Amino acid sequence: MDGIQGTVTQVIGSTLDAQFAEDKLPAIYNALKTEIERTVLGETIRETLWCEVAQHLGGGRIRAVALGSTDGLRRGAEIMDTGNPVSVPVGDEVLGRVFNLVGEPIDGRGPVDAKSTMPIHREPPAFDELSAKTEIFETGIKVIDLLCPLVRGGKTGLFGGAGVGKTVIIQELIARLARFHSGYSCFAGVGERTREGNDLWLEMQDAKIGDTGKSVIDQTVMVFGQMNEPPGARLRVALSALTMAEHFRDQTGADTLLFVDNIFRFSQAGSEVSALLGRMPSAVGYQPTLGTEMGELQERITSTSRGAVTSIQAIYVPADDYTDPAPATAFAHLDSTVNLERSIADKGIYPAVDPLASSSRILSPEYIGDRHYQVARQVQQTLQRYKDLQDIIAILGVDELSEEDKIIVGRARKIERFLSQPFFVAEQFTGFPGINCKRDDTIRSFEELCSGTWDHLPEQAFMYVGSIEEAAEKAEKLKAS
Amino acid sequence: MANRRELVKRRKAARNIRKITRTMQLIATARFQAAFNRAVATRPYSDKLAELVADLSRAAGDTDHPLMHAPEGVDRTATVVVTSNRGLCGGYNANVLRTAIQHLDGMGEKPTDISMIGKKGVSYFRFLGREMSEQITDLDENPRFDQIEPIGQSLIQRFIDGEIAAAYVVYMRFYSTGRQRPEVMQLLPLAPEAATEGETGSGSNVEYEFSPDPKALLDDLLPASVRMRLFQCFTDAVVSEQVARMVAMKAATDAAGDMITNLTRQYNRARQTHITMELLDIIGGASALG
Repeated sequence: MDGIQGTVTQVIGSTLDAQFAEDKLPAIYNALKTEIERTVLGETIRETLWCEVAQHLGGGRIRAVALGSTDGLRRGAEIMDTGNPVSVPVGDEVLGRVFNLVGEPIDGRGPVDAKSTMPIHREPPAFDELSAKTEIFETGIKVIDLLCPLVRGGKTGLFGGAGVGKTVIIQELIARLARFHSGYSCFAGVGERTREGNDLWLEMQDAKIGDTGKSVIDQTVMVFGQMNEPPGARLRVALSALTMAEHFRDQTGADTLLFVDNIFRFSQAGSEVSALLGRMPSAVGYQPTLGTEMGELQERITSTSRGAVTSIQAIYVPADDYTDPAPATAFAHLDSTVNLERSIADKGIYPAVDPLASSSRILSPEYIGDRHYQVARQVQQTLQRYKDLQDIIAILGVDELSEEDKIIVGRARKIERFLSQPFFVAEQFTGFPGINCKRDDTIRSFEELCSGTWDHLPEQAFMYVGSIEEAAEKAEKLKAS
Repeated sequence: MANRRELVKRRKAARNIRKITRTMQLIATARFQAAFNRAVATRPYSDKLAELVADLSRAAGDTDHPLMHAPEGVDRTATVVVTSNRGLCGGYNANVLRTAIQHLDGMGEKPTDISMIGKKGVSYFRFLGREMSEQITDLDENPRFDQIEPIGQSLIQRFIDGEIAAAYVVYMRFYSTGRQRPEVMQLLPLAPEAATEGETGSGSNVEYEFSPDPKALLDDLLPASVRMRLFQCFTDAVVSEQVARMVAMKAATDAAGDMITNLTRQYNRARQTHITMELLDIIGGASALG
């Protein structure tokens, strides 16, 4: 091996200390490489372990975070400074492939012959390079387009507790957006289930882009560091995917989509190694550097004058507590937040988007137009009134409300149901084919619903339909059966 | 985890509501007793009156009293809708009003005068934008006969004068404490079976001698019977209202209790989580320092 040699002096879980010559100290973020030899059932396995320098301890000692398992690593082992941060292959060659965080292909389709590589640690784009364009990015999902529209070249967060459908929505967005998207897509699997990654990979091979005959996967690169990986891997995998996305943005100028599932795992991994690095835990046991780490990642996910990166991130909310520091830190960086709510999922309404808590920076007449804005606000007002009345209804019953309130409650219940929509990716579970609903149709439907044009339809007719006319059709069918 | 202060606030609100609903339940129970006794007290009189009318009409033979026949060539009808002045009685008013609307819609194009009794009905019809020819909202829980009589008298007068072809009452009929039903009763013209009701019950086939003659007596008794039947509707409605309020308030008190239990549970859990979290922070910080 070439490069500067050091010696491992201590291994603590997924961090390790190494001794280098004092004048040849590897820089912070530099990648270190060591060989691990361990015997499993009589067979000797040799692996390369990548590490990343996190701290200088003084006296030529450094502390590093292992990006893989440290099983079998022993004191005295040789470790080599590569002189550079972890670098990943970038460019057209990576399209259609699946990588781990250090840029090694893991899809079993041979080595990647990339012309260039880029370090995963970079500065965020400067102020004057940022793009100031604001434009709505239609998804065809009613509740999202109406109440928390996505921003083209902006960041969207999907917040939700365990099992309310974050991953399903992100997969649905991939299915909807990537299919009609002319640019590139990057997917980062951070600390989630490996199975989901596998499903997604297979699905992307089947899905075609528009009518070009090309598979979605041909325009996509995927990077995985799932929940079986040690914290170091989960801490850096998002950066690897982001680096590839940045390259597409800067070199080709094409619109790039970046999907991250799940940003919370990034914070969680940081918290796992934080104490090992000797930092004092902060609120709720998180690392004191929580905000800094999130900021460093999020600031790089941005659109510049050269090209746009539209990112969609799933963010797990531990114990459904939105005040938890990890989701709270992510909040501030987003243009659009889609909050998923367990009580809505419990009613069987999917996507379980909370219409009152979700919002978007562009939900304002100057971006989306007066009509859309008015309708969105009216929908929220109706639902808010219903929410305020809920305790009264629970105690006294709906009969005690005034006539106006009764009508509002009736409409709110219809709106609630009308916000559900069948998904393309959930077709095998729900039995309904996915429906794409144009923004104009969505606005018109909700406008009519709020003005009472459809008060006569039964509530059930509003479940899992597209535009309001389909609700009317469903009502006919319900009546017939 | 919901905000603890929010939970405390909601629990307090639920407790206050429960206090009110429980009191109203007790009051409704007491009023129900009184109203029930009153309704029962008028029964012997109205039964006897019906019996007498039946006997008379049999004795008078083929009676052709004007109250028993709709005047020719008149479309207009009159409807009295009996609702309550106060709410918080569950579906009582909604049920009566729904029946009333059905009845009125069934009239089609025929003009109808609506006498609306009770504030709840008045405000509902105003909300719907329906016309009411008369609004009476000054009857309390204890309607007296002399308050009802003018209503009945004016209906009779207008019927005889040929202004209206029929008069109906929509009210909540009281069968038993467990059963009340909204019903439309035809007050005028007096249907023959209504006039002779109680005939089979009395079983008396004694031939009476009447003085003055039956026809003259009927002239007095038939209007009295109509007024009595109208009064019976009002007493029934009052009893039904109190029963409905009793049941609704009982349900509300129970629901509020359930809600308080739930909120208390949520609050305790949130509080405990908060304490645990703070402890974890302190212990974690201390051990990291140590």
